[in-house]
Amino acid sequence: MKHIIEEKNKNFRRLVLIVDDEQINRVLLGSIVQKQYDVIFAENGKEAYEAIKEYQQKISLILLDILMPEMNGYSLLEVLKKDPVLRKIPVIVLTSDRSAEVKSLQMGAVDFIPKPYDMPDVIMARIGRSIELAEDRFLINATETDALTGLYVREFFYIHISRYFHSDSNRQMDAIVLNVNKLRIVNELRGREYGDAVLRNIGAKIREIAERSEGIACRSEGDCFFIYAVHRDAACYADWYDEIVAEANKAAGNSKITLKIGVYQNADKNMEIERIFDRALIACNTLVNQYGVKYALYDEEMHNKELYSEKLLGDMDTALEKKQFKIFYQPKYRISGDKPVLCSAEALVRWSHPDLGMVSPGTFIPLFEMNGLIYRLDRYVWEEAAIQVRAWKEAFGVVIPVSVNVSRMDVYESGLENSLMEIVKSNGLKPEDLYLEITESAYTDNSEQIVDVVTGLREKGFVVEMDDFGSGYSSLNMLATLPIDALKLDMRFIRNICTSGVDYRLVKLMIDTAALMSIPTIAEGVETEEQYRLLREVGCDIVQGYYFSKPVPAEEFAELIKKELTA
Amino acid sequence: MLTLEKLEEFGANVEDGLGRCMNNEAFYLRLVGMVISDDKLDRLGELIEANELDGAFETAHALKGMYGNLSLTPVYTPLCEMTEYLRKRTQMDYGPLLLEAKRQKKILTDLAGD
Repeated sequence: MKHIIEEKNKNFRRLVLIVDDEQINRVLLGSIVQKQYDVIFAENGKEAYEAIKEYQQKISLILLDILMPEMNGYSLLEVLKKDPVLRKIPVIVLTSDRSAEVKSLQMGAVDFIPKPYDMPDVIMARIGRSIELAEDRFLINATETDALTGLYVREFFYIHISRYFHSDSNRQMDAIVLNVNKLRIVNELRGREYGDAVLRNIGAKIREIAERSEGIACRSEGDCFFIYAVHRDAACYADWYDEIVAEANKAAGNSKITLKIGVYQNADKNMEIERIFDRALIACNTLVNQYGVKYALYDEEMHNKELYSEKLLGDMDTALEKKQFKIFYQPKYRISGDKPVLCSAEALVRWSHPDLGMVSPGTFIPLFEMNGLIYRLDRYVWEEAAIQVRAWKEAFGVVIPVSVNVSRMDVYESGLENSLMEIVKSNGLKPEDLYLEITESAYTDNSEQIVDVVTGLREKGFVVEMDDFGSGYSSLNMLATLPIDALKLDMRFIRNICTSGVDYRLVKLMIDTAALMSIPTIAEGVETEEQYRLLREVGCDIVQGYYFSKPVPAEEFAELIKKELTA
Repeated sequence: MLTLEKLEEFGANVEDGLGRCMNNEAFYLRLVGMVISDDKLDRLGELIEANELDGAFETAHALKGMYGNLSLTPVYTPLCEMTEYLRKRTQMDYGPLLLEAKRQKKILTDLAGD
């Protein structure tokens, strides 16, 4: 096994990440390290963390400064230590401080390089030794095959591909991803052993198929298998599907196992192997909730979508810097009195892209969420919204609080409370001037952590609104236990409130229950007079929607405030 | 224009600094040029003036690393001393040390301009 890795490594330059906020240190160290390694750079812990997530399978070593803005070296070590995969990357700390050396080693660093730097030879020897030790440790712990199915594990599968298949440019190859549908539920209903028997049968059939197709296969993770095989007609994949399902159902008895198969045909061998299988996976994921379709091929449309997504991701930095993200404000009106009164606003973001025109948040928000970047956009919106609240306060002498979105990912950031406090303080506002919308599903995902975070935020004075209530699996009794200041009903109920008796009664029930707990309710997506009238009738407190106003730029919103003040 | 001789005269440990740059003279001089155009020393002065010792420590520490790596000893030495006081957030008059660091940087800057 070891010889495979050694052989693979002969002609391959390892990647080292240098993290230092000082440009001169980066340039100096980079020029030393570049002699033997590929190098990428980060200016602080946060940037480094992004790079580590992006290149995690490729980074052989991290050279980490301790004192840095944004996120310092200790915080990064702490984050890495908690991650079962990332903590395997060896870290050498760069420091001039003796006490930092000990602390860093205790926190998981493998070595340190003192500042001012040692001579280049010493640095290179330390780096080389640390990488060697980490790789030896990997070999000792590594297992080539998956114990349950006998197929390769993903790491070795990739190594085999690069060794035996990737270099043969004459042969067209297909990358195939097979995903077993709802295996988790089968496991829960019938027990783990039963699920394992299904996986064993699937594994055996996949091995047989791979062998006769001059390919190899691996179990990538729990219910997901990869095959790399000589290119064939797409129709063959339907046959593979039938064969594998038949074998799986021999073990499954009464349960009916189904699969999703995604194929990237004629894989581009200039691409990294992981990326090749990403494409097959993209194809596979298009089959979610598509019953009866046996396989999907990675095609032009998916490719264009992928390119489009990559463009958006690549352009995010510039967009933030050049303020291409425009904030629109949708007014919220209190309707519990005689006439609707403007009481607050919701900040909604649009991307005015220089090449692509207006990009819908429905496109870029899920993309940023998926890639772990949403916190950057959220923070941008928080800051812009706070600046706007201050501007209105200065212009009109009244505070119009603005609701901003707090994503699930923000909740896991340890500095959330401080960041928000900093933003309101620096704009001369109080925490209660910024309303925080947290989607209902975040509460159900990890309610313990979210309760802690939300409790902390409320203690500081922030107003927390639960967004999209009723869209997920929450129940009304959550209202009794969760710390929230307002309940925002899912738009879908409001849409049908006039036409569906069920939705009307549900809305009434939610509003009544919330009222019992003294939690005000907000209805969004109010588009007609009839909806408004019914919401008033059932005791809804606050409404927003096109019937009152679409989301408008800050200048137009200022007109609404003026109008309200002179009314 | 900066030369190794001028830097040696200035008091830099050129052998060490050059060694870190793999004895590439042009590269070393380029990095020294970057240090000269860096304005963090002024920033350090402002932070000390405002008694923002946390920020001052971080800045002094960063400067110490920069000058240390290039072995620009005359600026490095007062910065080392300041960093250690600032590490403990010592309330004291940092003026003389800061002045010395600035004076030495000025000499270095002038050498580059000559």
